[in-house]
Amino acid sequence: MNWVRISCAVASLAFAATIMGTGAAEAAMGDTLKTIKERGHLLCPGHNGTYLGFAEVDNAGNWKGFDIELCRAMATAILGSPDKLKVVPISFAQRFPAIQSGDIDLIIKVTGWTLGRDTELGLQFSQPYFLGATQLAVNVATGAKTGKDLNGASLCSQAGTSTERLAADYLTNLKIKYEMVSFEKSEDMRAAFFSGRCDAVALWGPNLAISISQATDPNKFMALPDVLAVEPQSIAMRQGDDQFVDIANWMLTVLITAEEYGITSTNVDEHKAKAGNPTVARMLGATPGIGKRLGLSESWGYDVIKHVGNYKQIFDRTLGDGSPYKMKRGVNSLIRDGGVLYPLVID
Amino acid sequence: MSALAASTARYRHGMEPFATVLVRRMFATWHDAAISIVCLAFVIWLLPKLIGWAFLDAVWSAPNATPCIGGAGACWAVITARWRLIIFGLYPFDQHWRSGLACLAVVVVVVLSCVPALWRPVRLSLLWLGGFLTFYFLMRGGVFGLSLVGTERWGGMALTLFIFTAVAVLGMPMAIILALGRQSELPAIRWLAGLLIDTVRALPLLTVLFTAAVILPFALPDWLIGDKLYRVIYAFALFFACAQAEIIRGGLQAIHAGQLEAAKALGLGYWHRTWHIVLPQAFRNSLPATINQFVITFKETSIVIIIGFFEVLASGHAAYGTGDWTSAYAEVYVFIALIYFAFVFSLSRYGAHLEKRMRLGHD
Repeated sequence: MNWVRISCAVASLAFAATIMGTGAAEAAMGDTLKTIKERGHLLCPGHNGTYLGFAEVDNAGNWKGFDIELCRAMATAILGSPDKLKVVPISFAQRFPAIQSGDIDLIIKVTGWTLGRDTELGLQFSQPYFLGATQLAVNVATGAKTGKDLNGASLCSQAGTSTERLAADYLTNLKIKYEMVSFEKSEDMRAAFFSGRCDAVALWGPNLAISISQATDPNKFMALPDVLAVEPQSIAMRQGDDQFVDIANWMLTVLITAEEYGITSTNVDEHKAKAGNPTVARMLGATPGIGKRLGLSESWGYDVIKHVGNYKQIFDRTLGDGSPYKMKRGVNSLIRDGGVLYPLVID
Repeated sequence: MSALAASTARYRHGMEPFATVLVRRMFATWHDAAISIVCLAFVIWLLPKLIGWAFLDAVWSAPNATPCIGGAGACWAVITARWRLIIFGLYPFDQHWRSGLACLAVVVVVVLSCVPALWRPVRLSLLWLGGFLTFYFLMRGGVFGLSLVGTERWGGMALTLFIFTAVAVLGMPMAIILALGRQSELPAIRWLAGLLIDTVRALPLLTVLFTAAVILPFALPDWLIGDKLYRVIYAFALFFACAQAEIIRGGLQAIHAGQLEAAKALGLGYWHRTWHIVLPQAFRNSLPATINQFVITFKETSIVIIIGFFEVLASGHAAYGTGDWTSAYAEVYVFIALIYFAFVFSLSRYGAHLEKRMRLGHD
């Protein structure tokens, strides 16, 4: 049986050698952009199923939603076309291993910027692109106008979620009595709230608005102004490739600047031809510079607005009036409209 | 003549009128009657509600779920509008015919495998390999002028069937090798096969799949990583093979020792003995358990949703996961349950038929 023993020993040595040979997962400067350009398409995360408003699938099996639109904008900035995008369906738990193993190039998947993710997971974040507030919704019949009016109320929540913890903390701080009714699945929780099983429910802002819009009679329910917590959503990328982080940040600035100057996918050609404002001229590539400094084409800003649109257009299509959810912009408006969005300076 | 024998005799001749059978079976004693009446009342109470919900009050077609809200019936409109998403997942819309044909190929292979004339190792392997290759090239494209479709766009029923057939095609030969290995006269091989089978069988399927999908890429060199889908299929096939190997071993051990001794006496070598004498009988012995293992594997494919694949359950989530249809989730789950039921029920009925047939053969 000598040959068996020898071949086993050889096989285990070879296996050990291959394991030793694998390196760490940190990206090098400029690597991500080079890989994407060589591959010819961007790899973006979708979802296993859908996440309302941010990553959904239409009747024909095509991805749509706010996060998907940002992926399309990113693909346009790098490769010139929103179709040079492959959406890889992955679960929430898997997005971090997936980016480290290179299954996806970046994470645009309602991902909050947290200390742990920034330091321990080896990620780097862009400027936040969306501020999600956790809020309370109530049955209008309760007559509650703020959280303080909820004394003695019952609160529906999803068992074990951070939202449940936030709601408990918030109501305890207000020193009011409440009864917590926990559910395993969000569908059950919503059904219980709409059927009057509980007076209030705590949900992440977009989910809250979307849920109310889906009730049998949406006028029976309303969101309270109390903000339990806010979580800024950012684009996450591998640590170490600062150039790629730059591209993500300036892509977001282009979307926001375009909204500020009223440049949309329909009138972007006029703005480019006119080239009146120097910022607009630089952004659209009429004055060169924006492309070379980021390693992209000079017309990338123009391409993004032409093919995907500005921030307002994206929001309206996926979450706002053009969608079934009819969400208000709220805090996700430009600073001049009372929100928190601002562009960086294109000089 | 005992009472049992008398009733069996009556039963065999089938001469009893239906009413008598009913009374004897359901109202023989007062407590039998009570249980029958309670059950009957429950059915009579439930059935009209069920029929009302599923048929009479149901909404069959609508642009979104609004007409269903507040109604008493099922919102089948979500299936009418989004069945293609549930069946074909993210596959390009204009290429759905390819995905449909591919699914049909798998169904044909499964049906043909039930024909006794094809129960020869070579014929069965060729059939499954051919079906699998047809499926693979129809789905993937890149040959015969078909456009290339990456696995990240495979989904729905087609992906479920792909994982199932790939696991069966890869896992079956592995299972045979492992089962023979465990029976081997060489101690090293016997010991290794036993270790592998017992280790993998002691792990939950989910951890095996999760390791293949998420952890392996960190441990393997780049050239070995490959596509996530294939890593998961290899792991799933290994899991299937270890369970199936034990089933085949059961079939091997049921073979009479005289068979092997007779083959040895004829001067047949190991491979001839195994191929012509041992394996055909082992397969025959283990067929019912094998079909059961296939049923389990088919149902377990839905676990891949957790590691982010867009199989039929995930595409079901996606079907109701849009603003227009969020309230119609129950109907989608019922539809998916019906799909699974159609596949699994026919497989298990076939298994029952097979057992009857084999028992006849032994009489």
